[in-house]
Amino acid sequence: MSVSRRRFLGTGLAACAGVAGAYALTSLLPTGAVGAAAAGDAAAAGDAAAATSPTPSAAPTYDPHAHSWAFLVNTTRCIGCGRCVDACKNENNVPDDPEYNRTWVELHVVENDGTVLVTSPDGGIHGFPPEPPELAASGATASQAYFVPRLCMQCDNPPCTSVCPVSATYKTPDGVVLVDQERCIGCGYCVLACPYGARYIVPSGGRMPTGQPGVVDKCTFCYHRITKGMRPACVEVCPVEARLIGDLDDPTDPVAVAIRTGRTSVMKPELGTKPRVHYVGIEGEVG
Amino acid sequence: MVETVADRTVDSRPRAAWHALRAEVASQPRALRLWFGLLTVLLLIGAVGAALSLPPGDEVFGTRPSFEWGLLIAAYVFFAVTTSGLCLASSLGTVFGMERFMPLEKRHAVLALLSLVTAFGIIALDLHWPIRLGFGAVLSPSPMSPMWWMGVLYAGYLVLLMTEVWSMFRGHERLHNVACTAASCMAILAPSTLGAVFGVLASRPYWHGSFTPPSLLAAALLSGISLLGIVFYCVHRFQLKGWERATSLAIPALRLLLTISLAVTILVAAWQILTTLYGSVPGLGDAMATLLVGPLAPWFWIGRVVIGIAIPLVLVLYRPTQTPIGLFAASILAFVGVLVDRVLFVDAGQIVSSSAASGVVSNPFNEYTPSLVEISILVGAFAFLAMGYTLAERFLDMSEHVGSHRPLLSGWGRHPHEPAAPGAATAEHGAAPLEHGAA
Repeated sequence: MSVSRRRFLGTGLAACAGVAGAYALTSLLPTGAVGAAAAGDAAAAGDAAAATSPTPSAAPTYDPHAHSWAFLVNTTRCIGCGRCVDACKNENNVPDDPEYNRTWVELHVVENDGTVLVTSPDGGIHGFPPEPPELAASGATASQAYFVPRLCMQCDNPPCTSVCPVSATYKTPDGVVLVDQERCIGCGYCVLACPYGARYIVPSGGRMPTGQPGVVDKCTFCYHRITKGMRPACVEVCPVEARLIGDLDDPTDPVAVAIRTGRTSVMKPELGTKPRVHYVGIEGEVG
Repeated sequence: MVETVADRTVDSRPRAAWHALRAEVASQPRALRLWFGLLTVLLLIGAVGAALSLPPGDEVFGTRPSFEWGLLIAAYVFFAVTTSGLCLASSLGTVFGMERFMPLEKRHAVLALLSLVTAFGIIALDLHWPIRLGFGAVLSPSPMSPMWWMGVLYAGYLVLLMTEVWSMFRGHERLHNVACTAASCMAILAPSTLGAVFGVLASRPYWHGSFTPPSLLAAALLSGISLLGIVFYCVHRFQLKGWERATSLAIPALRLLLTISLAVTILVAAWQILTTLYGSVPGLGDAMATLLVGPLAPWFWIGRVVIGIAIPLVLVLYRPTQTPIGLFAASILAFVGVLVDRVLFVDAGQIVSSSAASGVVSNPFNEYTPSLVEISILVGAFAFLAMGYTLAERFLDMSEHVGSHRPLLSGWGRHPHEPAAPGAATAEHGAAPLEHGAA
């Protein structure tokens, strides 16, 4: 009797472990990869997984190989109104806590002695005071001041993708870096690998852009919008066109022209990350 | 149900098992009962912390987007490198056949296994989705990622250590020798890869560079040897199995090893600081400044330099303190020093802002304070290690059988005709190991 009970328990536990394992396996594979593999198209599985991540859904007719997205931020136009931050939070369900942002705006104030004061109260979502309290407190005078909108740089050589131990973050053929939320383990390694501070781990409770807590989130250029022919939410609401998205595969696109003619610069070029977000009007120390 | 295990009749019914456990506890010396009681309480504290940390995304840790890795990562690194240090120290006897280091063998293996299991437990609690790691590392491997390699190597290391311990206590000599040698090789590969996890991050100047992997090896050596110093003092003090060899061979050998590893640590730390002071790599000088004169300076100078290096060095070099208790004190301080060092290492890598997101003002230091949950998990981790080892010491045969061991790379230690050390003969052919004593 006791032996059969042991066998029963052992068999039951093994069955439970098998079911749990199978469930975990299916939840690990990205939706696109599962579909492609089921169709027997193993070669297409990688591309399908990359192009149709469960996080941002692309339109069925969208061809990621026919585009090459880039972003242009004109700091000489930005007025620091914070509408882009607000629009991003609403569009992508980003947590309200000002520590968690897909995009944010910084105010850079260059003092007379060359010191650069950088502030970003609440990520800039509520705009900025006429004079930063920190500058007033120090008694220094400013020689120059400008706003710098920040977002994921969608690097062509992204340090975040190569360090991920489970290949949960990857680059799409059209140049956008995405995160597969079903595969992310929440180790935070990519958060640390990003030199631009553009990633965060989604906290539980409240708004969750990824639909589940404990996984990494970041700006996707509003992939769910640009793959349907729309512009990113932040670009859409900017009143002064300080933010522009363009297609480098379209030679007449204004963003492509600006980048091609070398009138832009990128942040931290010395790291060799080759950002797809280009800036007009930033100083060398920005980054 | 009544079963026969190892020629003993064991009643495994719950009531009988409970009575046997009570009888066993009652038969222990009072000091040992207090020790077990203390460890049980600490384990429970750790278990509460662990339970609170399980739901993914719950903000029970002190970490934040600007400071993503905290105390648990430091603790994981600490226990992982300690495992390697234990193997490196014992490899002198188990791999290279040096007679005076042979008494370290059994205890190092048990400690290394427990330490690695502790490290795995901590990292599992730090990850938001730990189960996915096991599947993801196999189904979607990422050979470009040092973290993937670290996982593979430490998983292999765990298998090797389990094989080593199993073969050691089961008497499979050949398998044991192979496992010992392989584990010692892994003791170099695994922590250096763990160092590479930090070293490849160009975004974190304090961690970045080829210097980080070897510096972790130095930390491994120091923490492993100090832990052996603590344990072997206890073996000597409480006259546990093989205490004669511990007193005559292991403690002097560990004093020598501790002196060498402290010297290596000083060398590594000094060059790390000096090379940082030259040049102007953005963020690197700022991070080092936080250690030397900034917010981390008290921890660095008091915890790392004075407590972790200077006092232990004096204790092992000063003749009047070259005693077992002197080694014990030096080992405890050095052990604490390595833990402080690992925490400072993790902190200094993140303390300099990489962006001004979320209201951070111009060049401030990122702030991080460990939460009570993180601290309780760390406390529980130490209690787990101590409890596991105490049970091993109580129920396993820790006496060494030097004569039967044939290291694969023998001939490094002494000339074949050179007589063995006096303590070795005593333990090998002398009286049977003593029963456990009380404090």
